[in-house]
Amino acid sequence: MSEGTDSRSGGSKNPSLLTVDNLAIRFGNAPANTVDGISFAVDRGETLCIVGESGCGKSISALALMGLLPMPPAKIAGGRVSFDQRDLLTLPAKARADLRGDRMAMIFQEPMTSLNPAFRIGDQIAEGVLRHRAISQADARRRALQMLDRVKIPAAAERLDDYPHQLSGGMRQRVMIAMALANDPDLLIADEPTTALDVTIQAQILELMKTLQEETGTALIMITHDLGVVAEIADQVAVMYAGRIVEQGPVEAIFDDPQHPYTIGLMSSLPSLGERQSRLTTISGMVPTIETMPSGCRFAPRCPFVRETCITRAPELTSMSPGHLAACHFAPLETHMVEAV
Amino acid sequence: MKHFAQDTILETRSLGRNFTRGGGLFQQRTVVRAVDGVDLTVRRGETLAIVGESGCGKSTLARTLVRLLEPTSGQVLYEGSDIAHLAARSMRKLRKDLQFVFQDPFSSLNPRMTVGAIVEEPLTIHTRDGKPARQQKVAGLLQRVGLRPSMADRYPHEFSGGQRQRIGIARALASEPKVIVADEPVSALDVSVQAQVINLLEDLKTEFSLTLVLIAHDLAVIRHMSDRVAVMYLGEIVEIGDTETVYGAPRHPYTQALMRAIPVPAPGLRSMQADLPGDIPSPLNPPSGCRFHTRCRHADANCGTKRPALEPTEGLREVACHHWQKIAASLSPQKQEPPRSAAAAKRFSLYREWSRKNKSKGPSSAPGVTTTQRKDNNA
Repeated sequence: MSEGTDSRSGGSKNPSLLTVDNLAIRFGNAPANTVDGISFAVDRGETLCIVGESGCGKSISALALMGLLPMPPAKIAGGRVSFDQRDLLTLPAKARADLRGDRMAMIFQEPMTSLNPAFRIGDQIAEGVLRHRAISQADARRRALQMLDRVKIPAAAERLDDYPHQLSGGMRQRVMIAMALANDPDLLIADEPTTALDVTIQAQILELMKTLQEETGTALIMITHDLGVVAEIADQVAVMYAGRIVEQGPVEAIFDDPQHPYTIGLMSSLPSLGERQSRLTTISGMVPTIETMPSGCRFAPRCPFVRETCITRAPELTSMSPGHLAACHFAPLETHMVEAV
Repeated sequence: MKHFAQDTILETRSLGRNFTRGGGLFQQRTVVRAVDGVDLTVRRGETLAIVGESGCGKSTLARTLVRLLEPTSGQVLYEGSDIAHLAARSMRKLRKDLQFVFQDPFSSLNPRMTVGAIVEEPLTIHTRDGKPARQQKVAGLLQRVGLRPSMADRYPHEFSGGQRQRIGIARALASEPKVIVADEPVSALDVSVQAQVINLLEDLKTEFSLTLVLIAHDLAVIRHMSDRVAVMYLGEIVEIGDTETVYGAPRHPYTQALMRAIPVPAPGLRSMQADLPGDIPSPLNPPSGCRFHTRCRHADANCGTKRPALEPTEGLREVACHHWQKIAASLSPQKQEPPRSAAAAKRFSLYREWSRKNKSKGPSSAPGVTTTQRKDNNA
């Protein structure tokens, strides 16, 4: 299909487009890291979904990759990020700004607050093109029109001069996508792009993103809390909990063979569309705050399988099967947890 | 669970609610029929879900049901008597029976009142209890929804989203209502917390013999919780019936499209189909005839002119479509997650068993675990 998949199956000779290595982010004088040593890689044409609940650090990580995290109060507490073989974290602000909106772009959850209400959408799309390309106003406007067409906005020529408030939520998200893809970026980061939309519109947007990605070979990092969306669009999945990746691997492995108790709990919490259960299994308690962050496994206080080791020692991500990693002292659970039932 | 006493507790008759915009000196007056001629019965003890896309009028209908909004036309019958035109004073007495849980747990709790005061307020209004009795009840209610009674002195901002929704539920329960209307009670919550609140609502419903009207857009949540489901489109009900019947074999093309759009958490089934073109039309200017005909692939000339009425089909289900019989043949099978591998299934059942075991062991892992308890865990 895409070159990304080819390079992956052909071994790891080609370096990935984006490699995040042990990235840690801390806010002010917080007693613990908000993002605590996450590592992943994304190839061209590939889709990585980062899934987790609010406060797990998924959006913070995305903003850090884009260089949009206000520093201070945030600071990079460790790790490296290489994008197209350049070290992102040490790049000067000017060079960073040249990449942003050009080689890497981002779509946000709430299209209404990320579009400027005072400017026509055509101008907003053209602005990004003009910033990075030496072309005329007229050409930029032509590019904007072309992009609106590509994201399948009906009667695009008439829409070009609309203001954001004149569009529906789904249409606004299409405009955001048009804007993000206007410069053919190598990497697109989408933070909950369909969360604010109805299911039918959500289906349209996901289908559009998939089609565009196949056409352009853009690498996509999708941040979401919706496992349905993950199953629909991901090649690779990273499950985050309280600032750490607790499980990662190919999408089939995560759904068919989940290993970490948090992943299992998350999936158990979903009402099923098939057989009606009498009661949902839940994850008890709440996500820890930064002040109460456990020193061992961060999921330990909510984990039904918790033991002494979990409280004292943080588990490393270990391989469960090729490419499938889980950070649990007792994975696979069925071999470690039988006797005590 | 399924078939309760069939008597009706709440009923609407050609209920309509319009919103008008403009009408000033220079502006044309426009009327939105947010709810248009809705006939709906809610049976005692059931959970009825109302589902539809944003702008379909489901929240307006919910608010009109308990008269948080005055209806423009038609009737709302509670226990057989019309509450749509009741005087404010008599309506206030009925509020005890009809309670509402709001979607947004952040804006629906007064930030200047303590949680105890918020939950106590309905008791002050609707009962003759003295202060000590009220406070005792508040403590009981907080405990019942999974919060500690000592939290009564705190303010809403000190709580998480899930906890605030529990507070909203405790407030709704305080007046010992017969009917609770819940507008998207779990959609603002994270998946794991959502499951806790769903379980809580179901337990409370049984414990207090409540009737529940649930507004939601998450079709899996609705399937899990409701006995019957009504599908709304642009102010009208297009299909209503038993949840199993409607999910098993949706008859209205709109219901079918909704079902197909559900993302299933199974990568083998990348099946989400966006075969519902375009957006929902503006309710300011709804299409003539069948309001769905502009997005329907089965529509013919007739659909654009003649408005279909809800008509009974098989199995106590009603559908408003001229062509449902024809369409029924082209139905795609119901979506389901595939079975898990043996090892994974084992892990899920272990998780279930261990969670249950821990719960019975002590309060430390009950929902609503707090920071202090968490610290103890780590000590």
